[in-house]
Amino acid sequence: MESNEAARRVLALPVQAARGLGEGVRAVFAHVGSIAWLLQMCVKAMFRLDRETFALVREVTRAQIRFTALDALPLCTLAALLIGGITLLQVFGQLSTFGVETALCQVLAQLVIRELGPLLVGVVVISRSGTAIATEMASRQLSGEIDALHLSGVDPVQYLLLPRLLGGIISLFALIVYFDTVALLGGFAVAWLRLPLSLTAFLDALMRAVGPRELSATFFKALVFGTAIPLLCCSFGLRVRRSTTEIPQAVTRAAVGSLAILLLAGAFLSVLIYA
Amino acid sequence: MPEALLALRGAALEAPGGGRVFQGLDWELKAGERWRLRAEPGSGASALLRLCAGVAQPAAGSVRLAGLAPDVDRRHPFVAAGGLGWAPTDGGLAMNLSFLENVALPLRFVRGLDREAAREEASRWLDLAGLGRLKGQRPPVPAERSCWLASLARAGAKGSRLWLVDRPAGELDPAAARAARNLLAEAARDPEAAFLVVGGDWMEGPVRELALVDGRLAFGSGA
Repeated sequence: MESNEAARRVLALPVQAARGLGEGVRAVFAHVGSIAWLLQMCVKAMFRLDRETFALVREVTRAQIRFTALDALPLCTLAALLIGGITLLQVFGQLSTFGVETALCQVLAQLVIRELGPLLVGVVVISRSGTAIATEMASRQLSGEIDALHLSGVDPVQYLLLPRLLGGIISLFALIVYFDTVALLGGFAVAWLRLPLSLTAFLDALMRAVGPRELSATFFKALVFGTAIPLLCCSFGLRVRRSTTEIPQAVTRAAVGSLAILLLAGAFLSVLIYA
Repeated sequence: MPEALLALRGAALEAPGGGRVFQGLDWELKAGERWRLRAEPGSGASALLRLCAGVAQPAAGSVRLAGLAPDVDRRHPFVAAGGLGWAPTDGGLAMNLSFLENVALPLRFVRGLDREAAREEASRWLDLAGLGRLKGQRPPVPAERSCWLASLARAGAKGSRLWLVDRPAGELDPAAARAARNLLAEAARDPEAAFLVVGGDWMEGPVRELALVDGRLAFGSGA
């Protein structure tokens, strides 16, 4: 009798594992679905803009860019300098084993521009702005502010969502370009200390390493991350309905969901562009 | 016969935990009418306003706002045009904006005013609400009666045609009550404006009485 029960439990394990996997996949599709739904609302809201609401959206978008991009510069600078320097040291250690130090700049540029830059900027934006957006939306939803905005004739999509979407895309693009530049300069500083490498040679190697594919990777990753992060964080914040205890849960879910989307979308785009 | 701005037909509202807050409500509010709703605290007056505005959806029956069912999740032409003056107990103000910006913001959407013109108009209505010295400040948390007064100013500045006014948080001092009366009197100069005001004696002129008792509407004599 007991052995039957044990056997049943063992046989149930693959089913439970499959169910867990299925729930994970379903959750990812649910996230993508909520982003798509909010995105179509933003696109419709964009077509409804008139002269004055356009000016208002521009003002709020500017404030978003200041918070998301400008205020994040010190953290991005520190991260970029360290990542650039450390990556160069690691790559140099590996390449010198094979005697191909000349490929150093190329490998560094490709690593930073293709993968590290967009990924780390995404993490910085999620940790600073994504969590702030989710908290703000949850608080506004809970206090009835969003209903009151709607009832007073303010379009919440135009006033709240659209500037965060536009601000996210512009900020991500600007931060990725800035991060890549600083990381490469940081890498050059380390290289200059350890190798007989001139700035001209470094820039020459860099120009050879950066092509249309690197530029399109930067553009598309900024576009996808800049769309997904603010909209997903808005979506989690707006789902809060009953109590303030839901706010930290919503913020955690927003951060985790955004990270998952960041990693999956980053990998998907890399495969798409470089494979 | 003018079409009702607001019409309830057999409307019922369910409480979040189950059970009915009220049911079978039949009532109409036409342009130019002024109604005062008498209701004990906790009897569902705020819930009735939320139902009328579309923040809550009826469990049975129907609610029509300017001929269409209101719903805060959908665009409603009357609401989007600034026709609804919404003054909940806590004011429903954005906490990250000053009083002035809170009143000016809807003017840019519904009246297409530029930033300066919207601030000027908002400033006039805040003065009328007795909040002139608080213009640059952000609303206090928790909400005080200044937030409720500011929501009246916001409704007035837009030129709302239908006012849904809940009671303020706490008692109004004589100066605040006088400011509320002045502001509503200014709004009532529009002969098409219709009002449903919970409690208080802030409406001047002929006001019809309505009471919410045991989940049902009772019509008083009124003027």
